[in-house]
Amino acid sequence: MNLLTVSGSPHIHGDNSIKKIMYGVVFAMIPAILVSIYFFGLDAVKVLLISVIACMFFEWAIQKYLIKGPLTINDGSALVTGILLAFNVPSNLPVWIIIIGAFVSIGIAKMSFGGLGKNPFNPALVGRVFLLISFPVQMTSWPKPNPLFARKVLDAITGPTPLGNLKEELTGGRTVQDILEHGTKMIVDGKEVLYQIPDYVQELLGNMGGSLGEISVAALIIGAIYMLCRKIITWQIPVAYLGSVIVFTGILWLINPNIYINPLFHLVTGGLMLGVFFMATDMVSTPMSPKGQLIFGLGCGIITVIIRVWGAYPEGVSFAILIMNAFAPLINKGFKPKRFGEVAKK
Amino acid sequence: MAKKESSFLNMVITLFVITGIASLALGGVYNLTKEPIRLAKLAKAEKAIKEVIPGFDRLEIFTVKPANGTDSLVFNCGYKNNELVGTAVESYSNKGYDPTQIKIMVGFTPDGNINNTVVIQQKETPGLGTKMTSPKFKNQFVGKNPKNFILKVKRDGGDVDAITGATISSRAFCGAIQRAYDAYEKENKKIKQ
Amino acid sequence: MNQWKNFSKGFIKDNPVFVLLLGLCPTLAVTSSAINGLGMGLATTFVLVCSNMVVSLIKNLIPDKVRIPSFIVIIASFVTIVELIMEGFVPALFEALGIFIPLIVVNCIVLGRAEGFASKQSFISSLIDGLGMGLGFAFALTLLGAVREALGNGSIFGYKFIEGDAILVFILSPGAFIVLGYLIALLNRFKKAT
Repeated sequence: MNLLTVSGSPHIHGDNSIKKIMYGVVFAMIPAILVSIYFFGLDAVKVLLISVIACMFFEWAIQKYLIKGPLTINDGSALVTGILLAFNVPSNLPVWIIIIGAFVSIGIAKMSFGGLGKNPFNPALVGRVFLLISFPVQMTSWPKPNPLFARKVLDAITGPTPLGNLKEELTGGRTVQDILEHGTKMIVDGKEVLYQIPDYVQELLGNMGGSLGEISVAALIIGAIYMLCRKIITWQIPVAYLGSVIVFTGILWLINPNIYINPLFHLVTGGLMLGVFFMATDMVSTPMSPKGQLIFGLGCGIITVIIRVWGAYPEGVSFAILIMNAFAPLINKGFKPKRFGEVAKK
Repeated sequence: MAKKESSFLNMVITLFVITGIASLALGGVYNLTKEPIRLAKLAKAEKAIKEVIPGFDRLEIFTVKPANGTDSLVFNCGYKNNELVGTAVESYSNKGYDPTQIKIMVGFTPDGNINNTVVIQQKETPGLGTKMTSPKFKNQFVGKNPKNFILKVKRDGGDVDAITGATISSRAFCGAIQRAYDAYEKENKKIKQ
Repeated sequence: MNQWKNFSKGFIKDNPVFVLLLGLCPTLAVTSSAINGLGMGLATTFVLVCSNMVVSLIKNLIPDKVRIPSFIVIIASFVTIVELIMEGFVPALFEALGIFIPLIVVNCIVLGRAEGFASKQSFISSLIDGLGMGLGFAFALTLLGAVREALGNGSIFGYKFIEGDAILVFILSPGAFIVLGYLIALLNRFKKAT
């Protein structure tokens, strides 16, 4: 077995570590954090801080007093979970709900299964879905974005997300064109206002209602490029995910543009970009082999579109990723990564 | 006592005896509970009516086909000492958030005011649409006359405060009441005779 | 056989829900409130005790090859009796439990005890076993229902201690799985400690 012989020194040391990867992810999230602070102001800072502190506290407390194992609080994974959880909630969420979310993310989704590396589902997403089902009113009242340096008195404090508005009006029997051109009259806090779905440039920059981290597609893509260059994430899942969403929504759009909106809208609204680059690429809860990752991304894309178009909720990214997380062990079984030194079968 | 052999005859006899005893026992229990079950079902049907129209001693029930919609509406006219005290109309809406039909019972006083409403069936989103059963939402209809109280949520130009986060369910609820009222107005003369 | 041990094993040591994991369908479905859990548990207890008694009485009269159909007929009869009585006398509970009353027939715990215990043991042992297992099942369902109701609705047995909404997910189906998982984990920890 020549293959196993280790050559003489010097060796190159691969200096990747959990810590490096995690802080790399945090670094990649900085643009999105800045955009969220720009549009939502101090509220965004408050949600981010509380979420991060609560996640780190629960991680520390559970490891110290319940598991009584080594403390891994410094590896940054709780920090990442905290930021991602904050990214997934509206900026006006009450403090106690954020703390419940942090407890669910760390306590139920991560520590119950044995800590980092053993959790079958993405912790931040479990926290978000738990909150969404438990507190549907608080989790779906989105504050209107109000740019930090151009603050103005708003006619209403809350407004819908583009996806939520589209879904509700389509269910009410209107056509896509009608909604996009004429907007929707709605009553907020007793006043009548006209809600207009923002144009694509505004959506790309993040000037729309939504969760903290999902609004700015541009900021998320900057972070994603950094992660791809640093090889923190691989290209397979994002490409398969985005590709399947574009193809699926494109087909629907070609069939009937009156009731199915174009693929571009699906790409720039909702949590798709956040999910694709920061949550569907989570190393722990996704398949290991490149082929498996392609299938994972494909499944995520199809489920996302099904939920967005026909489901009860306007947004399906978090559900799609969680459902595919459940399939990850099965996919791993079917598409094993090649063993080192394995000879291709003839 | 030794275990019985699994011969064909033994098996047939055993099963025959067991099923025979079982059916006798069930028949007996059925007879015993027949009357209470009938009463319980009756009480359940009347409970909703009692909640939406005030004390009555006699009911007259008939069905009406609404102008828009496929299913018939059930009219329960309550009389006290042969005088009309209210009409409970069982109405529905297919426009809820869940495909399950929303069924409500609306009580009208003889002058056409809404006396009360009861949700009989709904499967809306828990925590959002299900709030249509809460007093906070329901009570805004009490005592209103649809003639001058527009049965539409405020953002559609009506007078109804929608449930937070559940405009579609609120719309469906209003639609069901509107349907009941339209039919009631049409049948009003016939009832009052 | 020690009858006290026979009775008490259903609560912790061989609890049908927490240890044997039998009858999970009604366990997960009806325990959205403590009263529903208790009602379902008691209905199952009644069926379990009656079927255990009858099966142990006639165990020698039934040829081996037709024992399963015979047991099922006996169990189904008792379930139907419970259903009819409930519909007549406690219609509110009947409506809350709905489809799960007839489904007691296929509850593994009932057939499991008839086949695994009552068909081999004496009348008294079977009666006590049925009672213990049934009450253990009722205990588990009530506990599960109480936890879910407390967290999800802010009340226990309908007595409200939190105004407004609580953590809604607990009275929906995902909450059933989460609470059951943690109760089993707690019980395992408790058993390990003793």
